[in-house]
Amino acid sequence: MSTRFDEIEHRICQLLASYLESSNHPELEAHGEITGETNLVSDFTLDSFQVMEFMMELEEAFDIMIDVNSLSNSHTVRDLARIVGNELDEASK
Amino acid sequence: MALLDKFAAAGAIRDQLSSGGHDPTRVVIDEIISPTEGMVEGRHTILAGTNNYLGLTFDPACIAAGIKALETQGTGTTGSRMANGSFASHAALEQELAGFYNVPYGMVFSTGYAANLGTLVALLKPGDAVLLDADAHASLYDGCQMSGADIFRFRHNDVDSLEKRLQRLGERARDCLVVTEGLYSVLGDCAPLNEIVELKKRYGALLLVDEAHSLGVYGDRGCGVAEAQGVMHDVDFFVGTFSKSLGAMGGFCVSSHAELALIRYVSRPFIFTASPSPSIIASTHEALRQLQARPELRDSLWRNARRLHQGLETMGFDIGPEVSPVVAVRLGRKEVALPFWNRLLENGVYTNLMAPPASPDQNSYIRCSVSAAHTEQQVEKILEMFGRTRETA
Repeated sequence: MSTRFDEIEHRICQLLASYLESSNHPELEAHGEITGETNLVSDFTLDSFQVMEFMMELEEAFDIMIDVNSLSNSHTVRDLARIVGNELDEASK
Repeated sequence: MALLDKFAAAGAIRDQLSSGGHDPTRVVIDEIISPTEGMVEGRHTILAGTNNYLGLTFDPACIAAGIKALETQGTGTTGSRMANGSFASHAALEQELAGFYNVPYGMVFSTGYAANLGTLVALLKPGDAVLLDADAHASLYDGCQMSGADIFRFRHNDVDSLEKRLQRLGERARDCLVVTEGLYSVLGDCAPLNEIVELKKRYGALLLVDEAHSLGVYGDRGCGVAEAQGVMHDVDFFVGTFSKSLGAMGGFCVSSHAELALIRYVSRPFIFTASPSPSIIASTHEALRQLQARPELRDSLWRNARRLHQGLETMGFDIGPEVSPVVAVRLGRKEVALPFWNRLLENGVYTNLMAPPASPDQNSYIRCSVSAAHTEQQVEKILEMFGRTRETA
């Protein structure tokens, strides 16, 4: 993985921790460290609304737009990092 | 995982919802007494969650129109309009709806859900961009997803969030579709359509507004929120339903764009669905006449809405600032809201439980919808039962 990708992934981990903390998510402490393998749905039981809300946080943090359709097969932080990376590439063209 | 294993999750949801005694998704009204009252488990129950805004479900003229259509046109159309032909009443209602909105084109669908699905899949194709309010109804989401277009959400009723996305779209903004509702059905708040219209004009986008919950409720003529905010001429597509203020079942789309007349050739949810029964079309048509001829219905509706809102606010319940016929009481956690909803039902008041993920945030709500047909006594009774339920919760 490139350094840039690692940075994006790291930033998403931070944003997810912050999102879970702000929403008083009960499983935040139990889960421990958030990594690229962290699965938003199975590790934190985020419902569809929360996943969409978190996407909006990502959009604002990275100043990008994420197509809702791209989320259907994206479950982990690493999946999201790929989407964000692609969108950043598109935006810089 | 076996094919049917996935239903274990649905079973868990059912068990949780039923844990308070009644499942909010499966209440049976054994007898409908009036637009605002029914019998549930042997109890007289005030219906305060059925979106019967104008109370026309028992209107004598609407019932008579439905009966006459049954007797003269039969029970059903037995198929789609493309295959079986349209009844004259379908075409007449389309013209009437278009005229009501002062536009030339109208189309009737079999449900409100089908209207949104059928319109959006025809308007959008893969590669198009659609900007969707984050709190939009599931039918709007589904229509956008089914179309294959790129879907970008903007924060609910947030014009800055919408503009930021229009800017990011760049050249694509000129061909994108903005999708909002008039009155949002969970929290009862209205879209700032006047500001959204300004943006869509500035960026050259098209605008679709779902007035499902606002038809018959807002505007001098009852067209909806766009009329109330003076921007009807700037909305490209209006969609709505017959199943709320018009007291029947079905949906529509009206527009000033001639392309609406071509949707029927490409919209699969329209092409492959049986058309509405003639009795439904007839009672809807009559309800639309009643809506226009009796503005006093809206006066009654708003009087009741103001009283319920003010009463709950005075009692200290957490409700939004905007008075509307949809009143949502925020109760926070589902573990609080579910028993509250159960006790209300046992106290003879039927409402709606809105809990995550169906609610627009992580809170749970008791949602009431007010009707023009609610009597003053019924509204006072609803308030009394909210107070009693809180005391015993």
